[in-house]
Amino acid sequence: MKKISIYILIIGLIGVFIGYKMYNKPHINVAEKPVDIALTASILLADFSSNETSANTKYLDKIIAVKGMVTTIEFDGEKTAISLQTKDDFGSVVCYLTKEEFKKSTEIKEGQEVVLKGICTGFLMDVILVKCIIMNSK
Amino acid sequence: MKILYAFFVCLFLVSFTNAQERFLTKKGMISFFSETPIENIEAQNNQVLSIVDASSGKMAIAILMKSFMFKKALMQEHFNENYVESDKYPKATFKGDIIDFDNITTSEITLAIKGNLTIHGKTKEITIEAVTKKTDEVIEMTGNFFINLSDFDVKIPSVVKNNISEKIKVSFRLYHKTYKK
Repeated sequence: MKKISIYILIIGLIGVFIGYKMYNKPHINVAEKPVDIALTASILLADFSSNETSANTKYLDKIIAVKGMVTTIEFDGEKTAISLQTKDDFGSVVCYLTKEEFKKSTEIKEGQEVVLKGICTGFLMDVILVKCIIMNSK
Repeated sequence: MKILYAFFVCLFLVSFTNAQERFLTKKGMISFFSETPIENIEAQNNQVLSIVDASSGKMAIAILMKSFMFKKALMQEHFNENYVESDKYPKATFKGDIIDFDNITTSEITLAIKGNLTIHGKTKEITIEAVTKKTDEVIEMTGNFFINLSDFDVKIPSVVKNNISEKIKVSFRLYHKTYKK
């Protein structure tokens, strides 16, 4: 009888531990995740503007590496937003960088070609990528 | 969705001929807050698109649900997958009229905005108040209001009923600038 209750107690504790772990599950670390889709800013925007619904299924929540030329780079505190040029006159791909990338992002210049890796959240006027990191800035 | 896009494109085309009249932000902030004795839930979205037409006093806002960032990854997952179903309804929108927009000045005043808020595929007419301020280059709007989850058909499972408030406080800070490209 005593043995059984000890087992139950152990199982219960494991349950609580797993529950707690799950509750505090960390956010996706973009830097450690493999790239799902790699493409250029122009193609990414073209896909969204031609058929948003199918583009949503294809790109949302995916880790995307996007290549393009920097048109503008804006700072708001330690938050950086980089817009990439596309063939479209209206829209662009806007990448919001993580705070950890702030230092690196200050070295980026407008007109430079970069590869940014982030999570796609969708399309408003521009395709939006969040939690971006700089992969290549040559 | 297509209609919304077309709507923004239209706004754009007009903005070329009438550049002074359109004010826009792509980096507006909207956050929400649910307060219960058990836990507080908060999420922030810094990629809000908002356009104000200064000639008519109309405004339009579009937000991506997946751009809401939570402190806990699990909350964000539940929010997107179970509550607002972001894959099915990726956007929330608001379209409305700023009442007595002509009264806007360079010092802060409170104006009412009446319009339709669409979340989770459900639309509801709401009137909100915003502290507003306008200069030649900038229209600033800040404020907060409450929404009821039931108005937007957001179902909360009974297990977590006590963790999530039925009334959600929404705060916004929109810093529109004249649009030029």
